Amino acid sequence: METIGKLADNYFYLAAVILFVIGAHTMLTHSNMIKKVIAMNIMDSSVFLLFVAIGYVKGGQAPIIRETAEMVYVNPLPGALIVTGIVVAVSVTAYALSIIVRIQKSFGTVDCDELCDMRSED
Amino acid sequence: MGFTGHLSVYAAVSLLISAFAAPLVARWRPVLSGYLVLAALVFSFITSVFLLKSVIDVGTIAYFMGGWAPPWGIELIIDPLRAYMLVIVTGISLWIFIYALRDLEHELKEEVICWYHSLYAILTASMAVMALTNDLFNLFVMMEICAITACALITIKNKKECLEAGFNYLILSAMGSGCFLLGVAMVYMVTGHLNFNMVQAELSLAIAHYPLNIYTASALFIVAFGTKAALFPLHVWLPDAHASAPSPSSAMLSGLVIKIYAFVLFLIFTRLFPQTLLEAIPLRQIILWLGAAGVMFGSIYAMLQSDLKKMLAYSSIGQIAFIFMGIGINHDLAVTGGLYHIMVHAVTKALLFMSAGAIIYSTGVRRISDLAGIGKLLPLPMLAFTIGSASMVGLPGTGGLISKWYLALGSLENGQIFFLLIILASSLLNAVYYMPIVISAFMKEEENKFEFKKIPFSMQLTMILGMLMVLASGIISRPVIQLIEQAVTLLY
Repeated sequence: METIGKLADNYFYLAAVILFVIGAHTMLTHSNMIKKVIAMNIMDSSVFLLFVAIGYVKGGQAPIIRETAEMVYVNPLPGALIVTGIVVAVSVTAYALSIIVRIQKSFGTVDCDELCDMRSED
Repeated sequence: MGFTGHLSVYAAVSLLISAFAAPLVARWRPVLSGYLVLAALVFSFITSVFLLKSVIDVGTIAYFMGGWAPPWGIELIIDPLRAYMLVIVTGISLWIFIYALRDLEHELKEEVICWYHSLYAILTASMAVMALTNDLFNLFVMMEICAITACALITIKNKKECLEAGFNYLILSAMGSGCFLLGVAMVYMVTGHLNFNMVQAELSLAIAHYPLNIYTASALFIVAFGTKAALFPLHVWLPDAHASAPSPSSAMLSGLVIKIYAFVLFLIFTRLFPQTLLEAIPLRQIILWLGAAGVMFGSIYAMLQSDLKKMLAYSSIGQIAFIFMGIGINHDLAVTGGLYHIMVHAVTKALLFMSAGAIIYSTGVRRISDLAGIGKLLPLPMLAFTIGSASMVGLPGTGGLISKWYLALGSLENGQIFFLLIILASSLLNAVYYMPIVISAFMKEEENKFEFKKIPFSMQLTMILGMLMVLASGIISRPVIQLIEQAVTLLY
């Protein structure tokens, strides 16, 4: 019961983990390569969301220092890290898609199972 | 800090600069791109040897990137163990690159060779930084760079099976990175730090309050590094990827890329997880059992292969598992054996892939059954293969014996006889699939059915160098073992 109460307080953790599992499951079980790449992005985004959520402080403002008054601001570090993470995810996606284009050109399919069948026929 | 600290960055930065410059100079003179990257590799190798020497003399160096001390900045740590790994990374890369210069001419199209050189330099730089970094997020970025460049070294050979293998590798690698980043998020959630030392200090306090969080994070780390280093049930991407790649890439991927992840997992066990966590859940036992399973299954799968490079790839799964067993047994001797095996296997497997590559270069033969009688035609590659096989089996006089000896001693000291038997059985299994190849290559009389071309001098030179290194690692192992022992005592 206590655990459920804690989860209800931190519902965004649960949301991130559900997204992560959806991504991981799709990535490993679906045979369509484009779907795999989309799932990879869902998985990465879920981690990014979790990371940014960690840095949120209730009632916090953007972390820009103003000279006037003391204020509560959100933790800027996760945001900075996630910008880097997004760049990494974009480059991996671009690279994966470029491989898929090549595979489509040489095999004529973007489906892993069909690819496997073609290989075994050779 | 100071001059030696800056050198650690130059070792990686010189490689990155050469990586960006190589395609540019190739537009002007195509041959120059190779020599440029070669020069950068020589520089970073000399630098890392110098770093190792100065670390042994003056002790651990902590270098803050951009002058920002942790918790704000990224910290690089150069201690004997990391410097040892850095020397392995740069040294083996340099050695394989000399081989690659000529071998690539027949495997790749001329216009992509300069890009291969560029990718190779980025891969080496990312591994060098991974060996040194003391920051979790920096580690993540380097892992991704390493994953993309390693995949690209496979898919650059525009053949069908390379594309498929590269894509599978990329997807599973992305899976590993995702798990790692989620683990980092969970650790950051409870500690508020990314620096290894600070995380370790905070974790030992936080484990009382947030045990579930930390257990999940440690499981995610093991899955992440297990996938990337091909720990037994997570190895499925490896055989196709390593077998279909161009031979220098296979040597690099099997020799170094999976090792660096095993090494980083070792660092995480000793430098990130607090002792209380390791006592609370049996992480070491999990690694040990998976390692033991990997040792056996890797060898068994390898026996069933008919393709030479695929057999070598499966054998890598068995050999990397020895390193995991070293982490798992948790005795100083076994850890020393595991860390020594990183070097031994890097040299040996790279040598085996080089000799396989030379045989393919010269005759085009890939099937194991076609190798009968090839020893008379190509004595040097087969001799290199023989010495490599001897080290894989662990015959006296080769490095393989020393690392297995230490692993076996460690498991005996801990009273784990079962794992001693596993190590012995695996050596026997290795003999079962390596030795018949050697015997039939030299002993069988076959009519001269091969058409072959001459192997270039630089490839012969690197193979001779490799044989000498394998023998040296078996005969004069004492200095390196002493260095590792000293480094291991520093860890605890």
